[in-house]
Amino acid sequence: MVAIFQALLSGFALGGIYALVAVGFNITHNTTKTFNFGQGEFLSVGTVVAVSAMLLLAGKDIHGALTPEDVTVWRMLAALAICMVLLGALGVLLYYTAVRPFVGAGGLAWVMSTLGFGIIIQNAALAVWGPAAMVVPSILGSDVIRIGGAGVLPQEILVLVFSICVMLALDYVMRKTKIGKAVRAVAHSKAAATLMGINVGAVVVLAFVLSSGLAGVAGLLIAPITTASVFMGLLIALKAFSAAIVGGLSNARGCMLGGFMLGIMEAMVGLWQAELRDISIFLLIIVVLVVKPEGLLGTRVAEKV
Amino acid sequence: MKTHTHWIGLAVVIAAIVVGPQLTSNSFYLKVLFMIGVNYLAAAGLNVLVGHTGQKSLGHAGLFAVGAYTVALLTARHGWNPWLAFVASGVVAALFGALIALPALRVKGPALAMVTIGFGIVAEKVVAEWQDVFGGQAGIYGVVPPTWGSQSLDDRDWVWLVGGLCVITHLMLRSVLHGKYGRAFMAVNTAEVAAESVGVSVYRTKVMAFVISAVTCGLAGALIAQQNQFISSDFITFNMSIFFLLIVLFGGSSVYGPLLGAVVLTLLDNFLARWPHVQHFTYGALLLFALYAMPDGLSAWLRSVAIRLFPALGQHPAIPSALSRWHLPASEALEANRPLLSAQGLFKAYGGVVPTNDVDLTLRTGHVHSLIGPNGAGKTTLLNILSGVVAPDRGSIQFNGVNVVDMPANGIARLGLARTFQNLRLFADMTVLDNVKVGLHRHIEAGFWSYLFGTRLSVRGEVQATDEALQILGFLGLADKAYERAGSLPYGVQRRVEIARALATHPRLLLLDEPAAGLNPNETRELVDVIASIRDLGITVLLIEHHMDLVMRISDHVIVLDYGQKIAEGKPADIQNNPRVIAAYLGTDDESDDAALSGATGASHD
Repeated sequence: MVAIFQALLSGFALGGIYALVAVGFNITHNTTKTFNFGQGEFLSVGTVVAVSAMLLLAGKDIHGALTPEDVTVWRMLAALAICMVLLGALGVLLYYTAVRPFVGAGGLAWVMSTLGFGIIIQNAALAVWGPAAMVVPSILGSDVIRIGGAGVLPQEILVLVFSICVMLALDYVMRKTKIGKAVRAVAHSKAAATLMGINVGAVVVLAFVLSSGLAGVAGLLIAPITTASVFMGLLIALKAFSAAIVGGLSNARGCMLGGFMLGIMEAMVGLWQAELRDISIFLLIIVVLVVKPEGLLGTRVAEKV
Repeated sequence: MKTHTHWIGLAVVIAAIVVGPQLTSNSFYLKVLFMIGVNYLAAAGLNVLVGHTGQKSLGHAGLFAVGAYTVALLTARHGWNPWLAFVASGVVAALFGALIALPALRVKGPALAMVTIGFGIVAEKVVAEWQDVFGGQAGIYGVVPPTWGSQSLDDRDWVWLVGGLCVITHLMLRSVLHGKYGRAFMAVNTAEVAAESVGVSVYRTKVMAFVISAVTCGLAGALIAQQNQFISSDFITFNMSIFFLLIVLFGGSSVYGPLLGAVVLTLLDNFLARWPHVQHFTYGALLLFALYAMPDGLSAWLRSVAIRLFPALGQHPAIPSALSRWHLPASEALEANRPLLSAQGLFKAYGGVVPTNDVDLTLRTGHVHSLIGPNGAGKTTLLNILSGVVAPDRGSIQFNGVNVVDMPANGIARLGLARTFQNLRLFADMTVLDNVKVGLHRHIEAGFWSYLFGTRLSVRGEVQATDEALQILGFLGLADKAYERAGSLPYGVQRRVEIARALATHPRLLLLDEPAAGLNPNETRELVDVIASIRDLGITVLLIEHHMDLVMRISDHVIVLDYGQKIAEGKPADIQNNPRVIAAYLGTDDESDDAALSGATGASHD
């Protein structure tokens, strides 16, 4: 029972990560019908850059190792800020070089170009940081907290709280503010949004900045649990993509739900048989899509004949 | 001209395959040539699925695994003959291809990518984790390679073996893709509902494409396992699926695309391997920037360059000046003036909106029927129900003595019901001629195997189909447009191409959904003659139209719908004087001004 509770908590934390990245897919998909197939590389690069920033701020070489004393709140926040700015800039660059030239051209050119962009930044990062994994101490320390007998890493609580806060804020912004309404208007119809005086170009760029930034946050949050490396992003992005599809790519809340579902399921199956984790997740996805192709909270778009 | 260049090109490739390996004994170079062949094999089939049918798969490493492990288990564990095991790997991969096609048929776009990614990862994890059977990372040793007589194959022989398989694969796929199934793939890719409307089963076509891609991918896997005499879970990665997809996208969807893609990307992969950073960097840059120069892939780009240099390459066959007049095969004619289609109590509701409310309908052979009514009266919904695009909530439809409710649209089309679409659904990237030949799909006798092996039956089928398609185009005055891209034509011509495509199915009943919408007055007048000559062929017509002069001039029988209900039917003259019809179109005095206005808007489309 305790084990299940513990797995549930870990699953929620992991789910929070998936949900953050999945919402990023949702935002760009809604506004441009594309998303970054190199999102995993964005996540990795953002994280290793943030870790290096912390190392530099602590007066160490970027190939050094972080000790728990090096990780202070302000360094963490500074690293987060640097990571966001860098990824935001990469998001803009991605949009102008790899998405905008191909959007609406039909076919899958944008898949290739965003993949290519991801490979480029991954290799640039490899040249600087190499393939080794970096240990990132959690800002809250590594002493296991006991909640009702279940042992939980403080970082897992942080991940859960932080990701939920980010998502609530995002949900609020999207539904209640002027800028959020502009994003949703663009998602609905670019032409109509333009006619209403919305700067569609700016909204679309914003979507890519936001989506890349979310990946960075997710990477920095998970790094203390898994370690940071140039390769950390692929599987996370893949599962986040699954989460988005299962929950409904067109619905932000669906993406969040999908993320948490996947995280919890992964933790639960892991409890029972660790090697079946990924198999069961992807089998489930296939089943869900067969039953409900538009995802759990997605809306079916009927073709008008 | 086209076949000429093909055979010359093929001879060059065969010569290269025969001579190339003899120029070197460097096993690295021979290995690279082998890999080009293997990658081509996998990509050639995937091109059918991705490039032609438009089903993007990111999980073909899974099918590669199926082939590789089939051959490994059969030879290393069960002592099968290596050649037999090789063939078996293709068969087993085909079964798995059909299996993943089933969920893939329900989903589209990103969700389809997800299903295939899911399959790829499940395959990857199964072979990695289920160690009792698949050996995990340690893999399976002692996979038995095929032998020639008692001679084992050296590096050079492997290149020849793969090269031979590639040539055979190319010839088979070329024959399929340039024939009726290739057109069906493209049709499903661009407009599924239109493919169904001419009797092409979307379901079967997609399964076929999945199976073709699975077979070649499985065989590629088997070759790798047999050549290495070893297979392990390390071979099967998500990156492999991406690599296969990239070959196809980079090469372009022509039959030569996978070859170009396989050559360029395999060479790049191997020769830059000495500088791993440069290798992957180039790889990424190529993906990103190659697209600026050649958005449709390398093959399309080379073709456009070639046509600019040698304009003769872009020429299409001459259109015969004297075409014999097209007529329906006599055996398909029906006795005139008897009920062809009768529907009772058709009902369809979308929430509170009821576009079809207990409609009864009888269409008689040889007549031109018109379906009219104000905007939103439910005309198109009724037509969608009759043609099987929309299933009615209740009611019955008898078409030529067969109950067609709940029959898939392609089945109804096969019974002889053809239609056009209010919002055009042409296969825009295909030529006008090919659009019409898709309509002839079920009248081409040759089947899949016949095309695969390029038999005389398939060649004759193509020639006859071209002849008949040209006749149909001539019948509608479109023969000079035969080799133009359908999507590039003016609106009025596109409407007529849709009629040509529908006629090609040899229909007994033709449903025309607003054929005059967007036509100029001249084209509208011509349309009257076109409809009359279609009727004279013995084809029954049901017409939805807002142009009242056209309706009144051509119809034998008019049916009027309003708010989903049939409010009147009869001869044109009777309908014109029917008070309920006038009320529906113009409103009555006791109705509010709003209703009168909306009625007037509907009628003003005339």
